[in-house]
Order: sequence, then C-alpha cells, then structure tokens
Amino acid sequence: MSRWRYFFKRLLLSIPVLFLVLTFMFVLLRMGPVNPVAARLGPEATGAEAERMRERLGLNDPLWEQYLDFVTNFLTFDLGQSWVVYGDWEVTSIVMTAGPPTLWLGFWAILLPLFIGIPLGFYAGLRPNSWGDYTASVSGILWQAMPNFWLCILLLALLRQTQGGGWLGFDWYTFGPEIRSITGTPDLAFFSVSWIDAFGAVSVPLLTGIDWGALAVDIKLILPPAIVLGSASMAAELRIGRTAILETINSNYVETARAKGLKERAIVWKHVFRNALIPLVPVITNEAFLLIGGSVIVESIFNINGLGRIFFLAITQGDLPLAGALLFIFTLIIIFLNILQDFLYTIIDPRVGYER
Amino acid sequence: MLALLGGSATVGLAGCSALLGDDDDGNGNGNGNGSDDDTNYEVSDHANKAQAAWERVVDHPAPEDEDTRNEAYLEIEEAVRDDMVLLPLYHSKGERFWYDYVDIPEVGALGIHHQQFTDVEVDGDDELNLLNSTFDELDPIMSTDTASGIVINQVYETLTHYPNGVAEVENKLIEEFEVSDDDLTWTFTLKEGVEFHGGEELTADDVRYSFRRLAESEYSERSNFILGTASGIGVEYDETDDGDVEPDSIAVEVVDDYTVEITIQEPQPALLDILTYDGFSIVPEGIVGDIDGYDGEVDHSEFQTEMANGTGPFEYDDFSIGEEMRIVRNDNYHDGEPTIESVHWEINEDPESRFTYAMEQNADVFDIPTSQYDPSLIDAEERDDGSEIGTYGPFENDEETNYLAVPELGTFYFAFNVSNVPRPARQAIAYVVDHEELIEDVLEERGFEAFGFTPPAIWPTGEDGYNQWVDEWPYSPNETDIEGAAEVLEEAGITEDDPIEIEAATYETAPEYAEMAELIRQKLGDLPISVTNNSTQFSTLQDRGEDGDLEMYSLGWVWSWEDVSYGHFSFEPENTDTSRMPGDATGYYLDWQVNLD
Repeated sequence: MSRWRYFFKRLLLSIPVLFLVLTFMFVLLRMGPVNPVAARLGPEATGAEAERMRERLGLNDPLWEQYLDFVTNFLTFDLGQSWVVYGDWEVTSIVMTAGPPTLWLGFWAILLPLFIGIPLGFYAGLRPNSWGDYTASVSGILWQAMPNFWLCILLLALLRQTQGGGWLGFDWYTFGPEIRSITGTPDLAFFSVSWIDAFGAVSVPLLTGIDWGALAVDIKLILPPAIVLGSASMAAELRIGRTAILETINSNYVETARAKGLKERAIVWKHVFRNALIPLVPVITNEAFLLIGGSVIVESIFNINGLGRIFFLAITQGDLPLAGALLFIFTLIIIFLNILQDFLYTIIDPRVGYER
Repeated sequence: MLALLGGSATVGLAGCSALLGDDDDGNGNGNGNGSDDDTNYEVSDHANKAQAAWERVVDHPAPEDEDTRNEAYLEIEEAVRDDMVLLPLYHSKGERFWYDYVDIPEVGALGIHHQQFTDVEVDGDDELNLLNSTFDELDPIMSTDTASGIVINQVYETLTHYPNGVAEVENKLIEEFEVSDDDLTWTFTLKEGVEFHGGEELTADDVRYSFRRLAESEYSERSNFILGTASGIGVEYDETDDGDVEPDSIAVEVVDDYTVEITIQEPQPALLDILTYDGFSIVPEGIVGDIDGYDGEVDHSEFQTEMANGTGPFEYDDFSIGEEMRIVRNDNYHDGEPTIESVHWEINEDPESRFTYAMEQNADVFDIPTSQYDPSLIDAEERDDGSEIGTYGPFENDEETNYLAVPELGTFYFAFNVSNVPRPARQAIAYVVDHEELIEDVLEERGFEAFGFTPPAIWPTGEDGYNQWVDEWPYSPNETDIEGAAEVLEEAGITEDDPIEIEAATYETAPEYAEMAELIRQKLGDLPISVTNNSTQFSTLQDRGEDGDLEMYSLGWVWSWEDVSYGHFSFEPENTDTSRMPGDATGYYLDWQVNLD
C-alpha cells in the first residue's frame, strides 16, 4: 500500500465515524434524562404550556423522523436554534460570536507550550541528569499535576491582589498596557480590514492596519488563561521532548556522525532536533483535544464568552440543540485534526503505510 | 387569635383520630389507592381541612373578604403542618454589598429586580456598574428569570409596581383604578403625557396590544398569568376548538385614549399585584407582528435582543449577548429623571470571577460567593422586619462595604408524597430537623428559619400572629428532638423489625439540600427510619414528581407578587394529584388528595 492510498483510506474512514457520532449524540440528547421543555419553561409553567412548547419544538414527531431531520440538518450545517441559553438564537450566529475568543485563547494556549515546553525539554535532554534537567523535569511534573480549575482560581486570587502594588511587588493591572479587569472577553478588534473587489465578483479581505495598543491589551487579557490551559501540554511536551532527545542522541547514526568528526553543534541542530520532532507531532495535535475540554473550565472561570463557556452553560441548563451542535463542531475539529496528523505523518515519516 | 389556638388544639386530636382510625377501618381510604399498603397508616387527616379552606379562599375573592381569606390561609398552613406534608426549611435571604462611594436605596422582600435605578448616585462616576447572569431576552413576555427582569424593569414599565421591591403595590403607569361591584370589571385610567423612548405617547391601545401579546403570542412564556384564574388575573377570553386563546378575544377594552377596561372571569383580589409582573409591561402598539392583525415594525429576533422601546427611566444602548449590557438615561422620563447617566452590567456567571470583578471595584454593588463568605465579618443590626443592615469587611482589598440582608418572599423546603411516606415518618423527620443548625452549618447563615410556608413578611395574621405560630410549632423548633420522633414512631407501631426507608430526592444545582438530607440521615440514627439521598438533575426530579414517584424531595417556591394564594393554590389537595399532572393538576407533588373523604 502506498503512503497516499493509506492516507485516503484514513480519510474515508472518518465518514462512518461521523455518522456513528451523530447517531450516538441523537440517542444521548433526545432519549437521555434531560427534559428540554422543563429546562426551558422552569417549574412554574403549566402542563398546557409545556404541551404547546413540545409541539413547537417538534418533540411530538415520530423518533425516526426526528433522527432523519437531525442528521440531514447537521450535515448541511443547519445547526438549528438554541432553546435555553440564548433562546431562539441561531447556533451558527452564536458560534460566530463565541468562536473568535476561543480561537484566540487556543492559539496562545498552543503557542506558549510550543515555545516554552519544547525548548525546555530539549534543554533538559541535552544535559541529562544535571541540576538544570532535574529542575525542569520536576517542575514539569508538578505543573502537570495541578488541575486547571485550581490553577485558574489561584491565578485569579494572585493577580487581583496585586492591585495597587500588593505583596508581589508589582501591579498586574498597570504593568504594560492598562486593564480594568483580569477577567472578561478580549475585544479582538485590534485589526482593521477593508474588503476589496478582486476579479470583479469576489471580495477579498485586506488587513489595512493594526492597533498595537488594543492588541497588547488583548494579549495581556488572554495570557493568564492561556498559561493555565496550556500548562498540561507544556509539561507533556517538556517530558516527551526530553526523552526524544535522549533517544536520538544515543542512537547509532549520531555515534557515526561523531566518529566522522562532525562538530557537536552541527550534530544537535542538523540531526538530533529534526528526528526528535517526530514523536512530538501526535503530542502537539493531541493537545487540541485537551484544549477543547479544558477551555470549558478556563473560559468559565475567566469569564471569556467563548465556545467552552457556552458549552458549559448549554450542558448545565439542558439546552440540547446548542450542546449537540457544539459537540458536532468539536467532533468535526477532532476528526480534522486526526486527518491532519495522518497527513503530517505521511509527509514526515517514510515508514508510514509500509506493509508490516 | 382564637383560630390560632383552635388550630393548635386540633393537632393532638387529629393525630389521635388518625391513629385510632387505622384500626377501625383500615381500608376505608381506598380512593382507588387501596393496593398501596403504605397509605393504611392514616384514614382521616387534615387534607379535608385544606381542601375546604382553599375553597373558601376561592369563594371569597372580594377585597372586603380579606379576613376570611387570611383565616383560610392560616388553616391551610395548619393542615400542612399537622399532616407534615411539607417541611419548610428556610426563607431566602437577599444580600447586597456595596462600596461606600455608592448611594443606593434599600430593597424590599420582593427582590432587587423590582428596583428602578432612578435614585442611585455613584460618587466620582456617572455610571452604575453591576454584575448580571446570562440572559437572552429583552422582550417582556419572554422574561422568566431575574437576570432579564432586572434590565427589563429599567426599560419597560407595568401599570402598577413595587417601588424598590417593597411588598406594597403602587401605581406606575396608571393614575387611578376602579372596580365594579361584582369585582369583575377593572377600569384603569392611564397617566397622560407618558412617552415611549421612540417618542410615541402611551395610550390605551398600547395596553391592549401588550396584554394581547402576553396572552396570544407564540413567544409568551407566562400566558397563564393573564389567562389563568388561580395563578393569574383570569381575564375573560374565547377559546378556539383546540383550547387555545381565540385571537383578539381577550376582554381588555379600550374605552378612550386613557381608559382601559379589563373584565375577568372570577374575582381576583391580587390583580394589582399580578400586574407588576414583567410580562404585563407596556410596549408600543404594533411594534412586533407576532399576533394576529399586526405586521410589526421590527421582526421578533430584533425585538428580542437588539432594541427596546418602553417608558422606563433608561433606554437601550448596547447589548452584546453573553458579555455586557448598557442602558442610558431617558431624559423624558415621566416619573423623576434618574440621577445617573447610565447603567452597565458585566455578564458573568462564575463565582470566582464575579468575586474578582467586585474586588477590582469594577462592580459597585454585588453579592459574594459562599466560598468567600465569612459571617463573622458582618457587623449589622437586626431590625423589626427581620432585615439586617450594617457593614461587611474588610475584604481582601482592605475595603469595607455596606451590607444589607432582607428576608425575601421565597421558601425552600422538603416535601413528601403522602401516599409513599406515612405520616409518622414525616413527623419524625420534622422532629429531628434543627432549623437553626441547618442554617448555620449548611447555609453559613445565608437564610432565615422557616416554620411556615408563607414568609413572615406576608403572614396572614401579621407579625404577632407569626411569632405565636413559631412559639406553637409542635415539632420542637430549633432542636433535634429524638425523643419526640421516637414517640411518634412508636405510637404508629413502627419498630426496628419493620423500619421505614425513605429516599430523599434532591437536585444537583442546589447541593445544600443533599447536605441537609445527609444531616437528617445522621440525626435519625438508631430510629427505625432511614433517609438515603439521591441527587439528580432538576428535570428528573420534576418528571418523577409528576409521575408520583417521589418520596421526600427538595424544592423552593418564590413569590412573584405579594399574595399568599400565589403559593397556596398548589396546596389544594385536589390540585396535588400527580396522576393528573402535568396537564390538569398544577400543585406540589404531594398526592394529598388520596386522603380526602
């Protein structure tokens, strides 16, 4: 089997996966313990009102009809309306408003571990069993052991007490760009875009300017939650990076390179780093899964109006269509990331796809 | 006074007759429920008394019959207590903390969402900054939650209102009202010269249109408040063949520009109170086309979140859903211009982050989460009405704030399905519950002891009557009376050999009930009854309640207006029949009707 046939086989496999997920979600949402009408109307409503609501929401239709509707709607991206959290709002417009802050958070939550976790791991791997190695490894394990929600609350309490100086010796509020609150949703209005007509019909966005002050505020606002969200993967990258370096540095070809008289610098940069990156690919793509789960807690506690917080509200308030639609989007993201991972492997690692 | 004494005297007697009756005609209370062995513990009890009392309330709706109704309410309370179908635990405590630089009037028992921010001053700022929970509607007829209610009440107004949430109804958009001799026709004279934010003058047509929306619109979530008789004003209307309201048929007549006449099916003494509910807010005629005969100036989704046009002291400015809401002063306000320029709400549901926001002094008035709450930091004095005023602090930011705690019109309780839990077991649980301890240990003192279902502020016999009620409460108030519990069980022949097991159903969003159930389990100790807690989703509890499948369960009731009957109609034993729920019966999940003669 060639590498690309292997890749396309994986691509096709995602279709039954998608259907399975949709079916599972339907069963869970429509036949589970949550009574959507009660969730929406509250305990004071009368039976007649509840019945009217059931009819309006289509809950009295035969189950197979509801299932067919459900699947076709989702596959055509008609994600329906929220019932409880944002009553009667189109899910797509909710995603449009709540998506950007989540992306912004996710971007920084991936960037931070990439630029802190991996370099630290490589540093530790290149100096095994030194004090530097011990410090980095132990703090990595400790960091990974701290649950997100606890870190969030701790960070909030720490930062808010720096107001007006405090015992940390600096004031986070006035340090760099000034902020009013450490919680809240970033504006994300730091760039200006103008739409220009290209080829007659298509409009193309063109970045015309960046408000650096607003960008700085948005970055400052997102740093604490992003550090918390990225913390677990930061530690994972540190440890896997360290092991990967240790493995490659002790392999035969490095030995050979040394024997040929290559400089240590060239060995590390040209041979060791490249090969050590291979085991990190699945770690980095898998992080995205953690980010989706973690953003629920981090966004709630830092009051960021993102998909994670809305998902949390939808689940706790019994908003089935919204929760289902968000689950579907999360599923799509995860399937896409899996495909991306396979794709990267196909490119990087020549061993992929060979008959075993 | 006599009624009270008489009531307490019957406690003992009724208890005896119930026990004796068990031997005499064990199966006499069949009612189609004879197969259920548990019901054989009692034959006659106080359900008849409650039923008769409720019927008396319904039969005496005239304003001058208030004493009769109050007596009946008291009898219902007695029946509830003596049968122990429902054990009140605590009344809600509305707390408010505000920084010294804010000057804001106190609020009353009906809660902060009734307060209009016209007399608020913020030193050094012209904006009042507050926190709010998520909400998704500014359309009054969709509003069922406090979060939207507090905003809607600044923008839209009702005919009558409770100034600052104090439980005394006053005119808002009306000059005066008149009631016909048969108490069925109410004539309202509107204030002249009241303008909507859009510049239109308020007229009787607007009132009719607004009330029609509440009754007819598919978006209305409380149409029973205008159509229903027991829990609403019960306006006259025609029904269509499938039981809906016939469009344009409600009896709200426009007499002239400033006069509206409402005809109701049965006398409703609380009509003026019910009209304070958000759903009765007046919007300009024809603004949305969600009822027959109107095309609408804006479509409903815009009306829901992107604009507002009322007569209130503040106008819509900006709403970004899930993030923040801002309203600005209405310079043409008819009832005293607000002192502040604008009000801003940060929308935030997480307790830690709300607390952070308050500590940053971004919120001027706030509440604090239980995790950060320390009752020993309160320095407040209690006043005659039970409210407490003083200071709280210092907080971690070294600030001391003002503090106000008000007993609100809300009651939180454990109730029983009568046919699943025998009376001696219900009473034994009441004996071991120590209200004071529950409130101190479980609620960190964030609640007021409840011995009756009706909160003290609207107790039918007033303050003295309420104090007497507490003194005479038979199940050892504020102590764990194991002996009392043992005695009542022994009399009923419940012994170690045949113990009773009770499942206490609580719901996850209110974990304090699970703690209380656990406390009760421990207190019952060696007694021949045991309580196991089962914590589920709220909707599961509701479903099981409607199926008659609950034994002991936790719930709360909050009054939207200051009328005792708004909580009491659910006690009418015939209305507690779970086999007719959720359609025809709307009472508490008690199945109290099985004991009716």
